[in-house]
Amino acid sequence: MKKLIICDDIVKSFGEGDDHRRVLDGVSAYIHEGEFVSVMGPSGSGKSTFMFALSGTDGVNGGTVFFDSKDLSAASENELSDIRRTHMGFVFQQPTMLKNLNILDNIILPSMRDQRKHVASLTKKARALMKRVGIEELEKRDITQVSGGQLQRAGICRALMNSPRIIFGDEPTGALNSKSAQEIMDIFSEINAEGTAVMLVTHDANVAARTERIMFMRDGNMVSELKLPKYDGTDMDRRVEHVRAKMLEIGI
Amino acid sequence: MYFRIIRRDISKSKWTTLMTMIFVAAAAMLVSLAAVLILNLSGAVHTLMTQAKTPHFMQMHSGDIDTERLAAFAEQHGNVEDFQVTEFLNMDGARIRLGEHSLAHSVQDNGFSIQSKKFDYLLDLDGNIIHADDGELYVPINYMRDNMARVGDVAVISGKAFTVAGFLRDSQMNSTLSASKRFLVSDKDYAEIKNSGNTEYLIEFRLRDLSELGAFEADYASAGLEANGPTVTYKLFQMMNALSDGIMIGVILLVSILVVAISLMCIRFTLLAKIEDDYREIGVMKAIGLRVSDMKKIYLAKYAAITAAGSILGFALSVPFKGMLLENIRLYMGESSHSSYALPFGLIGILLVFLTIIAYVSRVLNRFRTISAADAVRFGTSPEKNTGAGRFNLSGNRLFNTNVFLGIKDVLARKRLYATSLTVIVISAFIMIVPQNLHNTISSKSFIQYMGIGSYDMRVDIQQTGQISEKTADIVHTMNNDPAITKTAVLSTKTFKIKTGDGTEENIKIELGDHTVFPIAYAKGKAPAEDEIALSAINADELGKKVGDIITLVIEGKAKALTVSGIYSDITNGGKTAKAVFTDDTADTMWSIVCAELSDQTLVHEKVSAYAERFDYAKISDIDDFVSQTFGSTISSVKTASNAAVTVALIIAVLVTLLFMKMLVAKDRHAIAVMKAFGFTNSDMKVQYVSRSVFVLIVGIMVGTLLANTVGEMLAGAAISSFGASTFHFAIDPLSAYLFSPMLMIGAVLIATVIGVSGAGRIKISEHMKE
Repeated sequence: MKKLIICDDIVKSFGEGDDHRRVLDGVSAYIHEGEFVSVMGPSGSGKSTFMFALSGTDGVNGGTVFFDSKDLSAASENELSDIRRTHMGFVFQQPTMLKNLNILDNIILPSMRDQRKHVASLTKKARALMKRVGIEELEKRDITQVSGGQLQRAGICRALMNSPRIIFGDEPTGALNSKSAQEIMDIFSEINAEGTAVMLVTHDANVAARTERIMFMRDGNMVSELKLPKYDGTDMDRRVEHVRAKMLEIGI
Repeated sequence: MYFRIIRRDISKSKWTTLMTMIFVAAAAMLVSLAAVLILNLSGAVHTLMTQAKTPHFMQMHSGDIDTERLAAFAEQHGNVEDFQVTEFLNMDGARIRLGEHSLAHSVQDNGFSIQSKKFDYLLDLDGNIIHADDGELYVPINYMRDNMARVGDVAVISGKAFTVAGFLRDSQMNSTLSASKRFLVSDKDYAEIKNSGNTEYLIEFRLRDLSELGAFEADYASAGLEANGPTVTYKLFQMMNALSDGIMIGVILLVSILVVAISLMCIRFTLLAKIEDDYREIGVMKAIGLRVSDMKKIYLAKYAAITAAGSILGFALSVPFKGMLLENIRLYMGESSHSSYALPFGLIGILLVFLTIIAYVSRVLNRFRTISAADAVRFGTSPEKNTGAGRFNLSGNRLFNTNVFLGIKDVLARKRLYATSLTVIVISAFIMIVPQNLHNTISSKSFIQYMGIGSYDMRVDIQQTGQISEKTADIVHTMNNDPAITKTAVLSTKTFKIKTGDGTEENIKIELGDHTVFPIAYAKGKAPAEDEIALSAINADELGKKVGDIITLVIEGKAKALTVSGIYSDITNGGKTAKAVFTDDTADTMWSIVCAELSDQTLVHEKVSAYAERFDYAKISDIDDFVSQTFGSTISSVKTASNAAVTVALIIAVLVTLLFMKMLVAKDRHAIAVMKAFGFTNSDMKVQYVSRSVFVLIVGIMVGTLLANTVGEMLAGAAISSFGASTFHFAIDPLSAYLFSPMLMIGAVLIATVIGVSGAGRIKISEHMKE
């Protein structure tokens, strides 16, 4: 299978002098096309920073990141924006919708930058996505008029609007109750089943157990990896046990 | 701890802190200056008028005078404390030479007097009454300021040599606004030069009860006493003495209010930006139980430090400026009796600025009370109530580029937030356009018709001379035989008595002649025909008359009814004039003017010189010169004010936009990070913010221009009405008002926007998505 993202020996530091902290300390990793992966680790282990480095949203101080053979560390700010807009989708833990726009407008916003002339077809696509995730009746609502779970579904619709090759999720179920979290994970599984790669950063073993490869991080280093068979809707408890056992084994 | 926090905070935002401090310093300096100047001016005017014993009522008169009748009136009038008649020997400037300077081209009416016996004294620079010895000449203070004369200079008055012995302060005619200037000579010298000029009489009264001045004026008019000239009262002397410096103080006060307002706006925007930056920390502090008052102290301490530093700097700067600005008051009026209070007064002014700013900061900080600790910790930014713009949807947008749409949508959704910025643009556009339009209006050729002056080429004034009617006839005869002159009109001004509503009589000056030859613009009605009268706006206002009303003149005891045919604006003769066409042989002509139109405009200068040479008793002027002499200085000050206004408006707009945009970026950092995460570039962000600016600018400039042409026109009209004009419409230069000014404003604000939002480029997605 073709590797979509490859990073090699990446280093990321924050602060200067006494405050200097090395958050990523020579991490190397990869993500295949259409793969469903997750990154686990305790708070401060560097998982979110790793995700930002892989997606080119944050530069690195050392090492290289290649996306579809394109060196992100050498790309300009505008090139990175173009890649994010056309090939990547993002879902964050907290609502990241613009307050001024209703749900529908928020969903079509990223695609409107380049395809304003096709607003009718974009709206049609957004409505289809909303129907798929069960929020079709919310399109005219303000973002303050819907629940956290509904907002997260809208966030997923937005991430899917440009038919990305990979979706990054940073604790996408972190702010949701377990029922909503389950539903969101079902949507991610469906998206992945259609061929889009998904990378989730999470604390939750139940979330990680849905993915087929789990990368474990500690103190800015990639310490281990666990591969699981593709999730088919069965054996969930056993998958979670595997994940927990691995966590115990490596002490995180 | 406070000191450490303040130091760290200031070092993080050096430029904003410096800018705020400079504005506070400027505000403190101006307020302190205004306070000190007001105190000194009022004290100095009071001292001068007390020392000089300025008359409470003065009637100027030329022609025959019956002193005994006047004395009898003063004797029997219960309110008269003192009475005197002094002489003012009006002399042509060409007959006066001070050292090397001739006063031939002086625009002042220069004249000579002896020292008054009872009151209305001419004072030396130490405030003492001057006693001029023979051969000594005391010169009005304005010639000292203009470096026209020095003590010891030889002065030649109508061939007689004098020595300039000193300079004098004249509580009546000191002001630059007063057209006459009095020189002081000894009794003997006065008698010697008396035949070289025309004698005018100053009939002066000091009253027991100044509050009864109005009644005294009416008594004087109804007694039918000498009144061939203007009347001036104590209040007018007071106003004229205070006016020119008073205007300066008024301007300083206005500018200081403006600067205080800008300082407050600077502080508001920087403070709001800071609160946005610290939003989560404020939430945490609240959550762990810190009181709002404790949190306010941290922020207040910083602004107290900046404001205190600014105030001290402002006070220090006010010291040298104070000296410069007081120089004029000291020169013209001497030392103020209240000068010892000046320092505490100035300090009170500065303290007021300090307290205003601190109170304002404290009010802005009250926002802490409404911050929800839970929301602040969770979201890290302030929640906003978005209003309206619900139907303006991105999905329905076919018209605008997406970034432009987002910019406009943001302004519509957060109207309250943009209201301040919009107000600033409206005010800036207003103060940019109104003075420009005013300047354009008063300098336009058609404007003089609104000012009571007909459209002719040459004007001959015959006044302050004997046999005015004969001399006028002589000039008209010459003009009628002059092929270069195509049209003439004679307008003679006489004083008549008019019956007021309450049965008393008042004097009114009426310009008689054919007013249709060189018509003026009438605000209401038309030029007078037989048995009609037109009134200047000020006269109509004072007499309470409108078009169609009847005015009753009393001529040789007989009543003559005239219908008011029209009302017009006038800047000549203090704006109190009237026009009629009836013939009259009873009253003396006070002055006449002959207006003439030339067949060839290029001949004007030549004709003016020729007539001036031939008729040396008359004042011949080119109408353009006349207009520029009459209010040329006003036109040039309005031009200066207009240029200054453009600069000030641009500075305000740029500064406020800069700070506003910085605040907006701080407030929107989360939304900016979101958009960047989804692939919007820094240029996209810039376009969005520029769109917001342009949208606010367009609305602001439109509203500002509209207000300038309505409210501004009314305000300018009010200013113009002080010259006697009633109707007023802007003559607008569309290129300047509707193209250059808006372009200048748009350019300046856009540059400020681009600089102000440069911070958006530095916002890191990762830092804000982790929140």
